[in-house]
This record gives sequence, C-alpha cells and structure tokens, in this order.
Amino acid sequence: MAPDSEPEQGPAAAGSAADDHPVVPDTGSVAAAPATTEAAGLRTHPLTAVTTGLLFALPAAATLILSSLQNGRLPDLPWWLLLLIPVLLALGGFVVGTAIGFVSWYVTTYVIDGEEVRVDSGLLFRSSRRVPYERLQSVDIAEPLLARVVGLCELRLETAGGSDSRTSLKYLRLADARALRGVLLERADGPDVGQTPDTAPVDGGGPDGGPGPAHERRVVNHVTPVRLLLGTLVSLDLAVSLVLGIGVLVVLVTMDAPLAAFGAAIPFATVLLNIVSNRVAAQWDSTVTEDRRGLRIERGLFTRTTQTVPWERIQGLAVEEPLVWRRLGWARLHVDIAGYGNETGDGSGESTSTLVPVADRERVLQIVEHVLDVGLDDMDRTTPPPRSWPFAPFVWRSRWVGADAVGFAGVEGWFQRRSNVVPHHKTQSVEVRQGPLQRRLGLATVEVHTPDGPVDADGRHLVAETARTIALEQVDRARRARSRPHPSPLEPR
Amino acid sequence: MSTDIFRPVGEDWVPVSTALATGRRVVATPLLLLPAAGAAIVAVTASSTALRVVLAVAAVVLLGGAVAAWAWAGRNQRSWGYAEADDDLLVTSGVLFKRLVAVPYGRMQFVDVSAGPLARRLGYATVTLHTASTETAADVPGVPTEEARRLRNRLTELGESHGAGL
Repeated sequence: MAPDSEPEQGPAAAGSAADDHPVVPDTGSVAAAPATTEAAGLRTHPLTAVTTGLLFALPAAATLILSSLQNGRLPDLPWWLLLLIPVLLALGGFVVGTAIGFVSWYVTTYVIDGEEVRVDSGLLFRSSRRVPYERLQSVDIAEPLLARVVGLCELRLETAGGSDSRTSLKYLRLADARALRGVLLERADGPDVGQTPDTAPVDGGGPDGGPGPAHERRVVNHVTPVRLLLGTLVSLDLAVSLVLGIGVLVVLVTMDAPLAAFGAAIPFATVLLNIVSNRVAAQWDSTVTEDRRGLRIERGLFTRTTQTVPWERIQGLAVEEPLVWRRLGWARLHVDIAGYGNETGDGSGESTSTLVPVADRERVLQIVEHVLDVGLDDMDRTTPPPRSWPFAPFVWRSRWVGADAVGFAGVEGWFQRRSNVVPHHKTQSVEVRQGPLQRRLGLATVEVHTPDGPVDADGRHLVAETARTIALEQVDRARRARSRPHPSPLEPR
Repeated sequence: MSTDIFRPVGEDWVPVSTALATGRRVVATPLLLLPAAGAAIVAVTASSTALRVVLAVAAVVLLGGAVAAWAWAGRNQRSWGYAEADDDLLVTSGVLFKRLVAVPYGRMQFVDVSAGPLARRLGYATVTLHTASTETAADVPGVPTEEARRLRNRLTELGESHGAGL
C-alpha cells in the first residue's frame, strides 16, 4: 500500500465507502497528518467478519470434543463420523459467527475528523461514541492470535474514567492501524513544533506514523524470554501453588481417590494458568522504546500488544520487588495511566500496566529516574515510629515515604515490596486520616491520590503531626509543580 | 496527643448547616423509636415472662440507639468543615475516623450538587468534587442550598482558571 493512499480501507470497502462519503477537509490541527484519513463513515476491514467466524468455530468444535472426552470414552461410531461431526460443528459455528460478524461489521463505522474520533455501532440499539483527541490517554494495538493469522489487529483508544473507558476498532490491517495511531497520537499531543529528522523506525519496520514525521526510537529496555521464565520460576506464588498442588495430588492419589484428585487439581491448574498467561505469555519479548512523544511497550507471545503512552499521560510508577527477587536484586515496574486501572474484569489489568516484567533493580531505578526524574534511593525517608507496630507487625519496618523536587514516594510491603512514585504535578488530591486506635497512639496516615491503577502512594501510621506536615507540604509542592513546565525525559531539564 | 492535627490550615473551617443534623434525626429517630414503642407495647401485653424480658431489652436497646443516633447526628454535623484556600479546597470530617482532604482546584474534573426531597425541604445540599482519582471522595454534605450553588459556581470557575488537565 502506498503510504499516501486511503490507509483505513480494505480492498472491498475501499470502493464503496470512499465514493459514498466525501472527504472531510483537514481542519489544520496537524499539518503533517494525512488528509485522506479525514473521510467520514469508514468501516473496519471486511475480514473482521471472518475472524469473528473463526472465534465461533473453535469453541463449537472444542466443546464437543471435551464433552465426549469427559464421558471417559469415545462414543461407538464409525471413525469417519467421529471426524466429521466436529468438522461440521466447526463449520456451523464458523457460518453463524461470520454472519453475526458481518452484520456487526456492516453497522459499525468510524469517523476521524478535526476534533475527535467517532464510532457508531449497533443494529437495533445504535450507539455513537465520541473520543476527543485531547482526552486520549494511550493508543494500543493488539494482535490476537486469530486476527494475526489473517494479518489484522485491534486498535484500542484508552480514555480516563468509567469501567467502559476503552474504545476499540476491530479489526484493521496492521499497517493501517499504525498509520491511524500515528495520526491520533499526533493530535493527542497537539500540533508539532520541532520535528526530529527522519530515522529508520525500530518497531517492525512498518510505515509507522504513516506520512507523519518519523521519530527516532530508542530502546529503553528489553526482557529476554529466558529472563522472563527465570523470573516467573523463582516467584513465591508460583512455588507455593506448585508445592500445594502437587502435595494435594500426591496425598489424594495415595489415598486412592483419583477423582477427588482431579477435582482438587483444577483450582491449582487455574492459578498456574493465570500466572503463566499473565506473566509469561502476555509479557513475552517485552520491549520498551521511547521517542520524543512517549513510551511504547511491545509484548506478547500469542496476542501481540503494542501500547503507546504519551509522556505527559504517565500518572506514576510503581517498583515491585517480591521477596525472592529482592535477594536476587530483581524488580518489576508498573506504570499508572488513567483508564488502565479499570480493566481488571478480564484479568488483563496487571499485564496492561506492566512496563518492565523483570529486570535488575538498578536498571528499573534508572528507568524511574529517566522517566520521572526521581531518584528513589536518594530521598530523605520518613519512617513510621516503632509504636505503630500493632497495625503492621514486622512490616512497619519496611515502610517509608519521601519526596524530592519532582516526586513523592510511598514504600510498603514485605512479601511484595512496592515503591510507589507520583510526580508532584500529577497529584490529584492529598488526604490525612486518623482512626480511634491511631489517635490513641498519636499516629495518622497520609495518602497521595492518583487515578485508579497500580500506583498507591500512602504513608501509613506516621507520627500524627508529621503526617499533617507531609500532607500540607505535598499540597504546596503539587501547587508549585503544576505551574512549572514539564519537559519530557528527552528534553533538557 | 498534643495538638489537633485536623485544625484549620489557613482560615477557620466553614461549618455545614445544622439542618443536616435535623434531617438525619428526622430519618433515623422514627426508624428506631417506632420499633421501640412497638416492642414496649407488646412487652406489656405479652403473656410469657421470657418474651416480656426479651422485648423489654429490645425496646431499651432501640431507645438507646435512638438517643445515640440523635447525639451522633449532632456530632457528625459539627465535625464537617471546609475551607476555600487560594489553590485548594480543604474538607475535614469525621468523629471517630477523622479525615482531612485537600483537592487542588486545577485537578477537579467536575462538581456535583445533589439534594433529596428532605434536604431540599430543609434547605441544604451535598457538594461533591470529582478528580481523576476515586480515592479523593470529597463530598461535603449539609451545605445551605444558596451557598452550595455559589460554591459550585466558584469551584467550576476556579477549576477552569487553574485547569491542569489530567
């Protein structure tokens, strides 16, 4: 596809859609954006219907196979019939799925104009969603395995607030989605000023950003699969669930109760599967790159995900150090983006907010310092007094809060130590709390509020007067920080 | 404890309307007193001694609850306070579990004013400030209706002039 042709259209849709709908002129918000993406009422790629069909076909066949296996033996049927039935079911599922997919594809259109993205969808209940560019928090591209087979991907637009804050366009051709992402990020960022000279893009060599200015992408961090597997293997929760699971199995089998063993194995298998899918498959080959505009995370074994987060949308970072990793000097890094915190429903919340699944602690702290300009190890620490032990026996020793010119940090946890860092200018509000027992002991808790997500910077059970002082100082720091400019990590500061 | 850590930061806390306590008493007292009266009446007329004792105890407990609720409504109402500082709205509340929250005007996403039928009759409303964080939870109940409207307009105005996006 030539870079300057209509990037959004598949071969079938291209003719009709482009002819039916006049091209909306560029309103001039971004001069570099391709004028041809301004067309009204575009549809996603027609193969979307086929992909939905495939999504229906597999479970249809799989359910039958599983249910006949659960009976313990294959039904008494000639072999060709045994093969034919799943194939027919899969075919039926495919046809039904494709029909549904076709209708939903046909009624879904999107518009990208000067101010917003608009997605209209629904056959009986029409819905129309508008996403103003300045509200975009991040633009992600996901390539689920099935869509990847036919060369398609899903474009996700993340906005803040609500459980339904994600708008997704599925499915688009990868090159189109990348071009569209370039346009959207450009507009989310406001008009371009100083453009960096063209350099070869790192991410897959695709025409990233389309005709927009190409950016120099620098690799911030890459996690090798071996490192990822090692990191997962030495996590405590994996070890505990493995040991417990195997123990229960052994006991039940020796007690001659294989059926009970099978039943008991299921929850453990679920936990293991969760760990493997969230921490290994989802984080496979995780690479973080950066450019003038923001961070990009590319990760995933089956579903390949590319998340792009503008610098100014980063609400905070959290360094996580599980018990065993602390001995090895390893850490994990999470990023807080408004909108990411709401996706816990499908269990993808943890993997979505992970910036670095595993790396040396030194490296992770360097990244924190690079991104937020906060040196976690150089802060003056305020620790809770020993008399706070009734609230957190032993654990109180590992807690502290601190602040420097740029950010506030709250550290807590012993099994899973979390160091939460919030840049002052992203402080949403500050709170001091005190319960009856805390009042007796002369303690209070200070909280720095951030949008829902992995970062939660609290100073629990500090000396009461200190907590008040810290809170008021934080209010002051946040006020001063808001009035200052916030250069991105690649600009001099 | 030497000093109150929930003391005013700059100027004094603006108290909320005593009508808030009245409103809460109007709701809570009948809810507790009516069952108490019912239990007392049945206790007097009941035949078995065991039942009488149980009902009498229940009536006393409910009566005690009504008195406690009456007192709580007053204390809770007196614990609320807010202050409009130069750049932040400060809110304090709570008797047993105290809290003080500071919300920068520039961080406000939107402001809600809500009032139920009883609150409207008694002339007060709840003003709620929303930021991008759900933890903020800055709602001020019992603000006199006129003051609530002024506060909302003032906060919206300040939010626009201090606006700092997300």
